[in-house]
Amino acid sequence: MSAFLAFAETRAGGLRKVAFEAVTAARQAADSTGGGEVHAVLLGAPGMAQEARALGRNGADVVYVVEHSGLERYNPEVYSTTVSERIRSGQYRAAFFTASAEGRDLAPRVAARLGVSIAADVTEFEIQNDAVIAQHPAYTGKVNVTLKLTGSPALISLRPGFVAPAEQPREARVETLEPAMDPAAARVKVTELAQRSTTKLDLGEAPIIVSGGRGLRAAENFKLVEDLAAAIGNAAVGATRAVTDDGWRPATDQIGQTGRLVSPDLYIAVGISGAIQHLAGMRTAKTIVAINKDKDAPIFKIADYGIVGDLFEIVPRLIAEMKKVRSHG
Amino acid sequence: MKIAVCIKRVPDMEMRFSIAADRTSLDQTGMKYEMGDFDGYALEVGLQLAEKHGPGEVVVLSLGPDGVQEILRKGLAMGATRAVQLKVDQVPFDGLAVASALAEELRSGGYDLILFGRMATDTANGTVGPMTAELLGLPCVTGISQLDLADRTGTARRDLEGASETVEFALPAVLTIDEGIARPRLASLKGIMAAKKKPLETRPAQLGPANLTVQRMELPAERPPGRIIGEGADAVPELLRLLQTEAKVL
Amino acid sequence: MATVLPAQHQPALPLDRLIIRQPPGPEAMEMDVLIVGAGPAGLACAIELSRLAKQDQETGGGMSELNIAVLEKAESLGEHNLSGAVINPCAFRELFPDLPSEQLPFRQPVSREAVYLLTERRAQRLPTPPTMHNSGYYTASICEVVRWLGERAEEAGINLFAGFPVDALLVDGESVRGVRTAPSGLSRDGTPASGYTEPTEVTARITMLAEGTRGLLSQAYTQWQKIGSPNPQLFALGVKEVWETTRPLDRVVHTLGWPLPTDAFGGSFMYPLSSTQIALGLVVGLDYHKAALDVHQLLQRMKLHPLFRQYLEGGKLLEWGAKTIPEGGFYSLPERRCGAGVMILGDAAGFVDVPSLKGIHYAMQSGIFAARVAFQALKSGDNSAASLAAYDRMVADSYIARDLYRTRNMRLVFKDGFYLGGAKAGLMTLTGGRFPGGRITMPPDASVPRITDGAAPFSPDGVLTFGKLDAVFKSGNATRDTIPSHLLVGRDVSPELAQFYSHLCPAGVYEVIDGQLRVNAPNCVDCKATDVVGPRWTPREGGSGPKYRLM
Repeated sequence: MSAFLAFAETRAGGLRKVAFEAVTAARQAADSTGGGEVHAVLLGAPGMAQEARALGRNGADVVYVVEHSGLERYNPEVYSTTVSERIRSGQYRAAFFTASAEGRDLAPRVAARLGVSIAADVTEFEIQNDAVIAQHPAYTGKVNVTLKLTGSPALISLRPGFVAPAEQPREARVETLEPAMDPAAARVKVTELAQRSTTKLDLGEAPIIVSGGRGLRAAENFKLVEDLAAAIGNAAVGATRAVTDDGWRPATDQIGQTGRLVSPDLYIAVGISGAIQHLAGMRTAKTIVAINKDKDAPIFKIADYGIVGDLFEIVPRLIAEMKKVRSHG
Repeated sequence: MKIAVCIKRVPDMEMRFSIAADRTSLDQTGMKYEMGDFDGYALEVGLQLAEKHGPGEVVVLSLGPDGVQEILRKGLAMGATRAVQLKVDQVPFDGLAVASALAEELRSGGYDLILFGRMATDTANGTVGPMTAELLGLPCVTGISQLDLADRTGTARRDLEGASETVEFALPAVLTIDEGIARPRLASLKGIMAAKKKPLETRPAQLGPANLTVQRMELPAERPPGRIIGEGADAVPELLRLLQTEAKVL
Repeated sequence: MATVLPAQHQPALPLDRLIIRQPPGPEAMEMDVLIVGAGPAGLACAIELSRLAKQDQETGGGMSELNIAVLEKAESLGEHNLSGAVINPCAFRELFPDLPSEQLPFRQPVSREAVYLLTERRAQRLPTPPTMHNSGYYTASICEVVRWLGERAEEAGINLFAGFPVDALLVDGESVRGVRTAPSGLSRDGTPASGYTEPTEVTARITMLAEGTRGLLSQAYTQWQKIGSPNPQLFALGVKEVWETTRPLDRVVHTLGWPLPTDAFGGSFMYPLSSTQIALGLVVGLDYHKAALDVHQLLQRMKLHPLFRQYLEGGKLLEWGAKTIPEGGFYSLPERRCGAGVMILGDAAGFVDVPSLKGIHYAMQSGIFAARVAFQALKSGDNSAASLAAYDRMVADSYIARDLYRTRNMRLVFKDGFYLGGAKAGLMTLTGGRFPGGRITMPPDASVPRITDGAAPFSPDGVLTFGKLDAVFKSGNATRDTIPSHLLVGRDVSPELAQFYSHLCPAGVYEVIDGQLRVNAPNCVDCKATDVVGPRWTPREGGSGPKYRLM
């Protein structure tokens, strides 16, 4: 039976979803190795402690909380020294981070500080006796690599969104920890955290993209694409080269080889026939839906689901049905 | 201003890959290499900083077999002052092993800035930069999309999920560079000619322990052929049903 | 049934942009010899020249180290080269006398061969015409050949610059002083964007134009100098695929007949590259009569013929490509292929023998001759037209001219159609070219009117047959989406003309949408087919176009 640690990421006074993913993973690891303890560590401004109990829901037995007025925002050096010390003291079999922007900054540092290796951006893992076996997509997603990590503690950073937070509730004991160094003495200081406007999702981040092509026939018809994106909610709007060429949409909306490479969960191509460069830009999307009046359009070969027909009839129907779906949760 | 830029030779990511018979590496037939994308941005940032805050020296380094000399020469052609190859037959997958070797080399260099790309496009770990910083005991800012330098301090912007951070740091520091900050300049004919005469030193790399190793490499499953699920607006309910229950993306 | 006359809509060669009379600026890079194009001709020239210079130095000849530069528009050597290929190794033997055959960059020696006359379902074996005997030759991938030659060139200290297309000749009076490279980093409207690199002037005492088929500067030079030829140069378009196969091919195959209409000249080839890899393609003269003829589509249909299908079923398309071939032969060679400060090599000069489908060894041999002449000229300090004319004499006295003369009318008779042409060609073979004598006059390809007619519908199955978009994807084309269009389209493009272009171009650059021509310039794979009969091709920034690895 071994103990496992999870780093619980916070931002602006609250826990991020990835924090629950890390705790869930640690719980899974503990249960697969005889049911040992799961500890979590979280840092933040005073008042952070009340978030700690939430981590008990996903299986944390102990939550170490580091509260300090100088930790309103992420502080790389304080975090890495503090977390490293906790790992050293705790004698964990493995420690879980997530490969979020913050996690990618923090986890390798902790590993180097401890003199151990780290398996980064992992989609699946298995704790074995002498090693951790982990899956990691590499080569721009073109190759899946199975990695073997030896040594203890094994540091793992998980790809966000791959471990679904699972309920395994227990009463989490909260323990206070002092930061391992004075935040004021840090050589790297985050001076500002600016939330980006949530009204316009960035193409690179949007989990869902609705994209329009020449099939829309005129610039004003692009409203259909925008309305569909709005009906979906967490969707961004993209366009083909032909459309940005003609000035219907700004060049920053262009999806294609050099326009933007996108990898959303869902890509809806409206009135797009499927030119090479466009396909290259979006072909790694998890699910592709195509709506086009030409059943021989190349896009249907790459789309998981296609509807042949007049988009001016199909899309309004899709908007109406989507609104129903979204309002039901 | 003395700047070091660490670059990696990676396979050309436009290629179609196949797995070698040993199943732990890529088939080398027809393999074409390039400087990693993010490394190119880092190098461009280094060159621009040296130009702006000059006089300066930009040293470009790479760990790997003799083949990496090609990208080192490219770095020289773009304007770097000199190049260093840390020679090793095979580049380990383990970031710690690589970082150890780089830290050894960089430690006594007196660099004001050490730049890396945010991650290597082949191994896609993003660990070598911050690990090297930690081993050198230097401050580190990762994933920078904007950068300004004043005397001995710098201000950078990092993009997070749905937000961005402004970070201030002291020099000397290690920075890892994200895309969007600069487009790498193309090497001119004259630059390529001049590069042939610039110094390129080779020394054996002092690799650290490699505890992260590749057990297997596999190509992801082929995307299954799609299907046209219906015609016209009446197919919409079925589409939504499939997206919710089968694809699980809604 | 209407006709379109391509020549009427073809823009003129923009000579004023291609020939620059201003003296080069102070930033110009100076070389001794500059070679445009790192194909077999250019690289053979560089290697031979370097060897001669070294030999001279070693024997105390007094010549200082030569600065040789080769400029190549592809991002890496070989990426824009395409050929069958079955190679006659004689030029390799001349350039590398000490290397045994196993070390030359070939795939397989030719052991068996066959020629077939195809109908839609059958293949009739024909006796192999004497011009098509390939024993002693090797199948090869020209990309591999060029990469290999490139390595030899680098070993010899030759400066190879890949990713530098050239867009103009620098001249001084009547002599060529050098070239200018194309700018890169332009945005769609042609203005400099971030990452803009301005053109560079490169000067040299001798410039070798080894640009390959339909070379832009070669065209500009011959037009500027008003160099004629008995016949205009003619071109064929070849579309080629490389397949991984589960069934080994044991012979070099050529076919005539189906799927070509009888009023079109051409044929197909299928070569074994290894026990698991084959190259196949279809070559069609661009003087075909039907506007709807689509070489790419014909190749796709052809693959369904049992003769080819048996090797493709269960296999995988690895790569696709297209390129034109100069096929006018002897009578289409420019009257002089050199001048003050310049020589024209290889395909750019037209040294291709169509009946045997050979050009690589002629290209290399011409490069070797050019190197020898250049060496003497550099030693004597005389790069005048008279001095360099020794190149024309060397070619005229060599097997290049002999071979081309022997088959001088063989392609040309086919303008009379397949059957009559075939008969005449047979007679030519029997009489060693003496009958029919004289020269058959040919119009330029663009002057052949095209009959607009319905096009047969074509639905690729995505397994054995592919549409143009998928094909271009398989050429490795990753051209930046936002670069300005490099194609000069004429005015008043009627829907019929637009349709003709869309069938002509194998890469789907031209589409007809609502009767209007739409130009998808990034799709272009630099085959030059439309440069021959339609919109003019101009260079675009380095690294654009296909990235052939196996062609």
